[in-house]
Amino acid sequence: VAKTSLTSPPWPEVKLPDPAEEAKYHAEVVQKVNKMIATGQYGRLFAVVHFASKQWKITSEDLIMMDNVLEAECGDRIRMEKVLLVGADDFTLIGRPLLGKDLVRVEATVIEKTESWPKINMRFWRRHNYQRKKIIVNPQTVLRINTIEIFPCLS
Amino acid sequence: QHFRGRKNRCYKLAVRSVRRAFVKSTKARREKKRIFRALWITRIEAASLEHGLKYPAFISNLLKSQVELNRKVIADLAIYEPKTFKSLAALAQRRRQEGFLAALGDGKEPEGIFSRIVHHY
Repeated sequence: VAKTSLTSPPWPEVKLPDPAEEAKYHAEVVQKVNKMIATGQYGRLFAVVHFASKQWKITSEDLIMMDNVLEAECGDRIRMEKVLLVGADDFTLIGRPLLGKDLVRVEATVIEKTESWPKINMRFWRRHNYQRKKIIVNPQTVLRINTIEIFPCLS
Repeated sequence: QHFRGRKNRCYKLAVRSVRRAFVKSTKARREKKRIFRALWITRIEAASLEHGLKYPAFISNLLKSQVELNRKVIADLAIYEPKTFKSLAALAQRRRQEGFLAALGDGKEPEGIFSRIVHHY
């Protein structure tokens, strides 16, 4: 049969690689990365952590400020769970959506607990003699990320 | 110096302009969130186009593969960690192709109405 413009669909035909071969390739890559982590061939590690309803991209010796109160005294060490992504120069570990607690460890210390600068909340309607002024002061906490560690427990 | 002209020297004019400044700052605090989100989205779009993907395809495939990174973090990764962003784009592309294959089906004709043999009696 002759090939017309409608014999094949207009989108490019895509073939996925063979699942068995793919599984072998994936296992190889995982073994390589495990060895790299075990021997310690990574430089600086960065991590994406979900903390205080926000996501932060953090490295070691990093300062983070949040707009709320933590129930921890100044100088307390905190371990952050809910790590979404960990990466170094040659490899990254992407969580779906979170990474296991036996894989990554993120340590932080509470440095200071202050209040924010006084923010002014003002509403005003002209010609209606309506104005309200309110000064809002939010409590803030400053954390310093001490270390990010990974352990070679991939599978 | 804050406030241009006689607004920074004369009391009556200053009162009016300071009041307007406070009101504008409160409204801007709500707009700031929208502005930043739009900025992150444009940055992610530009970065994903460099890897041959459009923004809606990228984001939808990332969410379908259960990676819940928000736009701020993806934009920061695209700026400072290009290799990580490339791997995320490859993940999204692979998930997209798998979705297409799952939606297209086996490529056979459906055993529907018109391939049955119809008997007229």
